[in-house]
Amino acid sequence: MGELVAVMAASHAPNLLLELGKEWNDFMNLHYSMLPPEKAHRPSLEAAQRFATDVQRTFGLLRSVLEAAQPDVLLLVANDQFVNFFYNNIPTFCLGVGTETRGQFARHTFAYPCHEALARWLLQRLIDEGFDLAFSEKLELEHTQTVPLYYVMPPGGPTPLIPLFVNTWVPPQPTPRRCYALGAALARAIAASEARVALLATGGLSHFPGRPRIGEVDVDFDRRLLERLMRGEGRALADYTVAELAEVGNEEFLNWMVAIGAAGDVPATVFYEPDGVATGIGFAIWHLGAGRLAAAQPSNLYGLLAA
Amino acid sequence: MSRYELNRLLYDLKMQDGLAAELRADPERVLARYDLSPAEREALATRDPRQLRQLGAHGMLALYVLRLRPEYDDNVYWTQR
Repeated sequence: MGELVAVMAASHAPNLLLELGKEWNDFMNLHYSMLPPEKAHRPSLEAAQRFATDVQRTFGLLRSVLEAAQPDVLLLVANDQFVNFFYNNIPTFCLGVGTETRGQFARHTFAYPCHEALARWLLQRLIDEGFDLAFSEKLELEHTQTVPLYYVMPPGGPTPLIPLFVNTWVPPQPTPRRCYALGAALARAIAASEARVALLATGGLSHFPGRPRIGEVDVDFDRRLLERLMRGEGRALADYTVAELAEVGNEEFLNWMVAIGAAGDVPATVFYEPDGVATGIGFAIWHLGAGRLAAAQPSNLYGLLAA
Repeated sequence: MSRYELNRLLYDLKMQDGLAAELRADPERVLARYDLSPAEREALATRDPRQLRQLGAHGMLALYVLRLRPEYDDNVYWTQR
């Protein structure tokens, strides 16, 4: 009998893994290409260092949950940003069914085995249930995956991955309801398997990459999302439209909707703080499986995990 | 159709490490592989991501025109995706 042993979500903003100083500055100068330089938000080095410490501490809690969960596989739900896919072929959902996956972020290299057998088994069940997933035997790891992986499951460990890509990037995206339904279907399939599966969704929260609105963060909207998750009311978020999420820079919340559908009506411990650069940084750990360890931690909508 | 081609060139600049150098060395030969309008060629020549975005390039692809500027050669941005 299979089990969902952890369900979690975390932002993947690249500034969470950049070295402060020249590397961070060089990167951000480019990332802000769509904004006049004088409008770019630049936290002080002191503020950035404090934030980086808080981020690492919070990721550390997710890492503890994952280690306690002892999964057979980590199902990683993230969006592509023109790495694996381009306008000639945009899959709404794409499941990795290869044997390994590799990527690079600055000086960090990443290589993980993939659980091909379980991925193919899940793919068949989902297709039988009416989810017409695309699939790929060769996928590259990109920052939407490597940034959280660096903290939560650095390479070299025993746990293989299964990558699942959700199209949050190119309209028309799947609906929140459809993403929720896919998550629920994944949970049913995992329960029918023999595998212990941990699920990590990445991305968000409010941000506007590559657009003139870069730097805006809708903190009220982000907090309302996370409040629902705290109360185990994530199901209600399936009522949102893609347009409503896009208006507040939360297209990547579609990745989270898969996690929400998988977790069901279970409360979560959440943390939230805007990074002072371009993104509302959010984390969630649902209180199921090893995630129950996080239930002892109070949630915080105005800061990350405290020391 | 040509907006696809502009985005394709930028995507190739992102994913093919040698293309920026090739384009700098022999722009006419490389640009001939893409079906670009005169306006798109002009915008590429400015090396300005915002100009490209105004012609319909995706904002997160437009910034890859900066791979053509030597002052960005060592930027960490090109070591991640």
